[in-house]
Amino acid sequence: MTAAEAGRDVGRVVVVGNGIAGLTAADALRAAGFDGELVVVGEERHAAYSRPALSKALLTPSADMTAHRLPAPTHGAIEILGVAATGLDTAAREVLLADGSRQAYDRLLIATGSRARRLTDSADELTLRGIDDALRLRARLAGGPSVLVVGGGPLGMEIASGCVESGCRVTLVSQGPPLVEQLGRHLAGVFAAAARRRGLRIVESGAASVDAAPGAAHVIDGEGTTHRADVLVTAVGDLPNVAWLAGTGLVAPTPSGGVLAVDERGLLRPDIAAAGDVAAFPSAHGMRRVPLWSSAVERAKVAAAALLRGAEAPAPAFQPYFWTEAFGLSLKAVGPMPLTGEPEYLDGGADGPALMRWRHPDGSGSAVALDYRIPIPRLRKVCLPVA
Amino acid sequence: MRIVLDRPRCEGHGLCEEAAAALMHLDHDGELVLDVEQVEDGTPQAAAAQAAVRVCPVAALSLA
Repeated sequence: MTAAEAGRDVGRVVVVGNGIAGLTAADALRAAGFDGELVVVGEERHAAYSRPALSKALLTPSADMTAHRLPAPTHGAIEILGVAATGLDTAAREVLLADGSRQAYDRLLIATGSRARRLTDSADELTLRGIDDALRLRARLAGGPSVLVVGGGPLGMEIASGCVESGCRVTLVSQGPPLVEQLGRHLAGVFAAAARRRGLRIVESGAASVDAAPGAAHVIDGEGTTHRADVLVTAVGDLPNVAWLAGTGLVAPTPSGGVLAVDERGLLRPDIAAAGDVAAFPSAHGMRRVPLWSSAVERAKVAAAALLRGAEAPAPAFQPYFWTEAFGLSLKAVGPMPLTGEPEYLDGGADGPALMRWRHPDGSGSAVALDYRIPIPRLRKVCLPVA
Repeated sequence: MRIVLDRPRCEGHGLCEEAAAALMHLDHDGELVLDVEQVEDGTPQAAAAQAAVRVCPVAALSLA
């Protein structure tokens, strides 16, 4: 079957979600030869944007306020923006929208992403997930208030870094050392040292409790000490947006409210695929969500191809790429994380820019570039198994 | 159409090279080099250029 013949029986595709997964899926459908009617539904009124930029470039005082913008779409879809999907009728093949309208489909691609996990219902608990969140946080940082950031993952550290650069006194409350769960002890130590040098106060706490009472936001750490600040931001994970699919039988239950468990091609059923942060897919470590930019892009391409070509579509293995920027450090990584033990330095050393490798017991490797410019294809080669 | 690089935005991730290795590469200093700047509409090259533009997380590439 040629690309032009792919999905010839498919007249209308609806993509729900206009983040990078939805946008890439729409592009990929066109690239695969789909020339029927394409509809993209987005809950946000904004054009698709780069989410990674929100917690990096966009928070700093001298920010380029266009850092998150992406080139305009070329997929020629009917775009319905600022309208959420509220339901799905899989028998009638219709998506129900918040404005009461219905969108019929032959194939459906779900890319509704995830939302910030919250610790309270208070509007004084800020989170950072979308562009509106980023602008709200940025506005609150004017004048250099004191800030409490709860969550020691990459997002929490990036937010803390942006707040410090904005002239704020910042306390980061983290379960254990920041970034240890994601990066391992060695790299987490490098980031924590850089953060402290720039003035970040780090509170390592077991079970902290958060109270976002208006005007009196505070955190009580595991030792019983109370930490107060003018601004409270939490970055404690994300939850897949699947509530609108209740009753469809498509949602795999999880303790945190459910996920779309797709097959290796991104399919939930022959006519419905999912990609991006809303979906978990089979990996070497079981069913996993990989809420990263590069994973959203790759999985969206795979899912789009599968919607048109079914089992004939390829199901490529893909090694996600991760990067973070905080406290003057820039890290790029490929391969399984977190990393145990000390690195092998392929270039540079412990005190400056470095290209590092960790070998894993199964022969695979992980490669990390710290303040070191290297194209991803070369970084991938660094972590290939030893022949 | 023409591939346009906004060099100050480029952070050297190199995801574009992965999407369109025949059109661009990062040199040994991690600077992006456009090996092909002009691509014909509707060709596989144009599709690769689109993919490269789309995968850049900092929108350093565009098509004109």
